[in-house]
Amino acid sequence: MDELTITPGSACQGCGAALAARLAFKALGPNTIRHGVPCCPDSATMTPRGGGGVFEGGGAALTGTWRALKAKGITDVQVVGFFGDGGTYDIGLQGISAAAERNENIWVITKDNEAYMNTGNQRSSSTPLYAMTSTTPVGSVIKGKQTGKKNIPMIFAAHHVPFVATASVGYPEDLIAKIEYGKTLTGFKMLIIQSPCPVGWRYDPAKTIEVARSAVQTGIWPLYEITDGEKFKLTYKPRELKPVTEYYKPQARFRHVTDEQLAGIQEDTTKNWEKLLKSDELGQLLI
Amino acid sequence: MVVGIRIHGRGGQGAVTASRLLATAAYYDGKFSQAIPMYGTERRGAPVTAYVRVDDVRVRERELVHTPEIVMVLDPLLSTRQTMADDMAEGGLLLLNAAYPPEEVKTGGNIRVATVNATNIALETLRRPITNTAILGAFAKAVGWPKLESIEKAIRKQFSGRIADMNVEAIKRSYDECSEVIPAPVKIAGESEAIAVGGYGVLKDVSSWRVFQPVIDMDKCTGCKNCWIYCPETAIKWTDENKPEIEWRKCKGCGICVNECPVGAIEFKRVEIKNE
Repeated sequence: MDELTITPGSACQGCGAALAARLAFKALGPNTIRHGVPCCPDSATMTPRGGGGVFEGGGAALTGTWRALKAKGITDVQVVGFFGDGGTYDIGLQGISAAAERNENIWVITKDNEAYMNTGNQRSSSTPLYAMTSTTPVGSVIKGKQTGKKNIPMIFAAHHVPFVATASVGYPEDLIAKIEYGKTLTGFKMLIIQSPCPVGWRYDPAKTIEVARSAVQTGIWPLYEITDGEKFKLTYKPRELKPVTEYYKPQARFRHVTDEQLAGIQEDTTKNWEKLLKSDELGQLLI
Repeated sequence: MVVGIRIHGRGGQGAVTASRLLATAAYYDGKFSQAIPMYGTERRGAPVTAYVRVDDVRVRERELVHTPEIVMVLDPLLSTRQTMADDMAEGGLLLLNAAYPPEEVKTGGNIRVATVNATNIALETLRRPITNTAILGAFAKAVGWPKLESIEKAIRKQFSGRIADMNVEAIKRSYDECSEVIPAPVKIAGESEAIAVGGYGVLKDVSSWRVFQPVIDMDKCTGCKNCWIYCPETAIKWTDENKPEIEWRKCKGCGICVNECPVGAIEFKRVEIKNE
């Protein structure tokens, strides 16, 4: 597989998104058209063929590109939207949801770094509970974000699209395998890649992979794939989950989180994991 | 009289914070001051500029400083560039973060120069290469104001607890370790080159971003390819002998390969800056 991203880009040192883009486009291959929005993934990484758009227009631009190719009789091209969590979870949600409902033959790949990092760490609906960002600072009364993370893969699974999956930069083989599988399908495909941001999450850039891996091993970011909105499969199943503190402690954005709050997070994570395990056993998604 | 100050650094070294601390300290000294950050795409590692204006009377200007009396450079590699002295006022002071004495400074012009090894001080006091406070002490020594207590007060306003203590230690050490101010040894300014911020692929060279760089021990290397797959910038090539090879133009010095090597064959070593 060839390297397709043009490097070096202008991403920060130890950028998880740059690695996510590198792995994703490596797997997608050269026959790819990329759409982006003016945020981290676009300013940090470049690929040979692509176009820019606006946050709101992600889904529409992808649809248009695919329909134009179809009208010309070209069907072997992967039309890919490489967005950030802002472009998928928040601003671009309506357009992508509409494209998913029409089941356009496109890819939506999200590098989820859990805030608007390009503009200086403003909270998004992907920011997890208690995380400190510049718009949810740690004050004397309210400390960090008070609401949880939006569960976007399940929202798109409810659209009954052919393929929805989560991935992590800590598990490149899994990420590449999911894209390889998705390439064989026709219809709307979505892959959410958790990609740690050393600047916004506040940890040492060298630990990017470590942090990404611990998110998966603690069950905070489970790796799974959902086909046709119902068939469910966990692609990483540790015998036992690690305690969530292992994910929370190295990140300074969670420095203020108390032990009681951590216990609450642990409870929610375990509950969610058990539900996923049950779904995995049945092979069918339980919501 | 109005004094204009320009601060050069890289994203992550705290040039903007330095401008704010300096302006605050000057205010505590009883002067009027302004801190002006310049906004662009200030990602980590990209060259950043900030400005400070200090006066005895209220500052009415609201523009950037065009002919600075003092220029402060936070980055050792930027310190070797002639561009740093561009548009400086005659007899102005150029304060560099450099490991060598001011006699060896190659930046020329009708200016005065002083040096301080701020990266060393920052690594020893803060344990990370954030050089903004590690050069502010030297500024106070070389320029004569603001008072060290004023900078300390400004730091305690900005930071708290252990971080404030570490930064206060950094300014004290840098005050002591600052060199003499001498007229620039090179009188005629050389040709200044633009500092590349943008560009992609073959046009771009990010080797100046590194403070530390990976050094691979080929005898220990087992050829597992972990470093290759995890490198975000494809800076690691795989050779025919089944060994990694680093493409230095692409390496930003993030340390992921060092952290991910299962046998510890990659060491993180401080980059030596050549004074060319």
